Amino acid sequence: MREESMILKGNSLSLLNEFELILESDPLIDEVGFIHPSQFVTLNKEASSSLEHEDANFWSRDHKLAISTDVLLPLYKAVKDVFMHAISQYKSHENLSDASWDEGNLESEVMKHSKALLLLSCDFGTAWNFRKLIVSKKQHMLIFLDELFLSALVLSCSPKSEKAWCHRRWVIKMLAGKCSTMQVIVGKESELVEKIAERSKMNYRAWNHRCWLVSYMTTEQVLHELKKSRNWAGLHVADNSCFHYRTRLMLRIREDHCHKLEDGTSDGNDEIYRIWQEELDWNEALIKCYVGREALWLHRRFLSLSWIRHFTTNVGDTSNYRVCKSSINADIGVFMDNELHLANSCSTIPDNEFEDFQAQAIYSATYILWLTKQISDSQGIELQEKPNLGSLRTMLNTACPERSSLWDISTRISGKCDEGLKENRYQRR
Amino acid sequence: MGELVVDKHVKYILSVEKRKDSFESVVLEHLRMNGAYWGLATLDLLGKLDALDSNEVIEWIMKCQHESGGFAGNIGHDPHMLYTLSAVQVLALFDKLNVLDADKVANYISGLQNEDGSFSGDEWGEVDSRFSYLAICCLSILHCLDKINMEKAVNYIASCKNVDGGFGCTPGGESHAGQIFCCVGALAITGSLHHVDKDLLGWWLCERQVKSGGLNGRPEKLPDVCYSWWVLSSLIMIDRVHWINKDKLVKFILNCQDTENGGISDRPEDAVDVYHTYFGVAGLSLLEYPGLKAIDPAHALPVDVVNRIFFQK
Repeated sequence: MREESMILKGNSLSLLNEFELILESDPLIDEVGFIHPSQFVTLNKEASSSLEHEDANFWSRDHKLAISTDVLLPLYKAVKDVFMHAISQYKSHENLSDASWDEGNLESEVMKHSKALLLLSCDFGTAWNFRKLIVSKKQHMLIFLDELFLSALVLSCSPKSEKAWCHRRWVIKMLAGKCSTMQVIVGKESELVEKIAERSKMNYRAWNHRCWLVSYMTTEQVLHELKKSRNWAGLHVADNSCFHYRTRLMLRIREDHCHKLEDGTSDGNDEIYRIWQEELDWNEALIKCYVGREALWLHRRFLSLSWIRHFTTNVGDTSNYRVCKSSINADIGVFMDNELHLANSCSTIPDNEFEDFQAQAIYSATYILWLTKQISDSQGIELQEKPNLGSLRTMLNTACPERSSLWDISTRISGKCDEGLKENRYQRR
Repeated sequence: MGELVVDKHVKYILSVEKRKDSFESVVLEHLRMNGAYWGLATLDLLGKLDALDSNEVIEWIMKCQHESGGFAGNIGHDPHMLYTLSAVQVLALFDKLNVLDADKVANYISGLQNEDGSFSGDEWGEVDSRFSYLAICCLSILHCLDKINMEKAVNYIASCKNVDGGFGCTPGGESHAGQIFCCVGALAITGSLHHVDKDLLGWWLCERQVKSGGLNGRPEKLPDVCYSWWVLSSLIMIDRVHWINKDKLVKFILNCQDTENGGISDRPEDAVDVYHTYFGVAGLSLLEYPGLKAIDPAHALPVDVVNRIFFQK
């Protein structure tokens, strides 16, 4: 029994050596994956190789690395053991502040084993931490960039790894202010997120990273990102995160614009107005093209509410918007008429009972109720001529009876305006 | 639809610890502290906390404490706020908070508060509104909320609020049901729920219920049992839980059980794990499923444990 475990241990150490040797001999490996050993044959065929490695544990070519799922358990155990040993040695020497210790060697051991470990266990926080500790002592641009490279390699296999994304933010914070190519780095980060989001749909961590980057962008970059992400969003209409990213960019553009208005370097709202109008028109086109997509209707809620708050004048201000109130005197009534028209055109359910059309009808009706409630709640105005909320409610009560108390409160609030509707206008309360 | 298979879930939880034979079970050892909390809180909600030896658990927890006062996910790992709250919660379950030097833990946490009121997860400085919750919940259990700048902490959380009423990781981050739970929970504990637009947030949260009765965490996503906790507890804290269909949600959770071997999965027919088992049972507890202990939606601990902490000196 004991002999057996010794043999196993010996095997896993040679596995470990083999693994680390591959990583060292090709520092440009940019993609890693775990695959079933039977797939090695396919990989070899695809690479039109005459060699057959059916019993191989690793496969590596063109800077891509595959690890057999058969060896993951022993390999992980071996890597973890050597890593834990390396950091305990590192810590004890560091504490003794022993002049004779071979700092460089201990550091490279920790770096080597932590890399191997993170490829197998992407959220092993202690391994990321020790890399941060060692790298921050060096304060060298190229070493920081190596960390971005490693984190991207981990993300190629584990695109949702929270710690890998977090490591990138740490590196970027370390570089900020010290590095002249910050804009280039931020641009590349944004591209990386897009690349990963393409393979890993609705990846919250990835898009959160992109949102985080916005505060490091110049105004020009923000405008460029808004332009660039439009195409992607149009092809991924169910990915709410991308639309949220656009929300983040648009709010930043408006914020920058407010600063310009305050310090007198700009006096008009035309540019902001154009951006909002374009987004509304584009969103409407997508809604009509892709039937029943929740993310599109939620994006429209944001667009419409902020349009009303920003561009209409006879509306109670909230402090956030007072400073840079638009000079464009848009009419809230005309705006709402358009929205009702859109919602109406989306609420016909054809006989064939496609679920998408039902969803579209529900989202459009909910959209109108939501917007009406938000306007009357936060803007201090009431609809004079309200949309036919009664019929919307009846429809929603049939389609989603479990939310009936929600439909009740939203129509009750707007229902107050039943008394005295005269003109097709919204008035201050 | 069957009933909750209590005995099988207890058996499943007790077996998880012993499984060391697969990569999937071993590779998560860095967050064993969270696993301990999920498993033990489940046992307590099921009324079976005495099924294992508490001394062994407590001894192991204390070996995970770092000299800074924070706890690691396992022995020999670095401390993090994520594991510190789990450690404190497990000690609270066992009524063993007295083994802690509360000041030491509280100093670790208050040392992670930043100038703007936010919290870092550990010494490496990542900021997230989740860490605000971890800090506030932990200090609340330890009766040490006075150690931080509460006003700034609350204002930071409020700054993570979005136009849709939800909350993100940092200001401007996308709304996510998990983040919303953290922000609403922290605001509830500090008595600051006036920062929440309850109708607006309630609207977004109840739209998380999909046709099958399950809840998702963001628009267009599939339902997942863990959101039975994140969404439901938030709805309860803001008093809007009547906006969803509770019966359908109960059915959805029960359908995610492995009725043969115990455990609950994210969706029907998927593989079970301890994380989803906890959130499934906790969700059922919030839904007042018969035979389960009641759970406190803000502290994520059984109500009798919370009462013991706050009403017994």
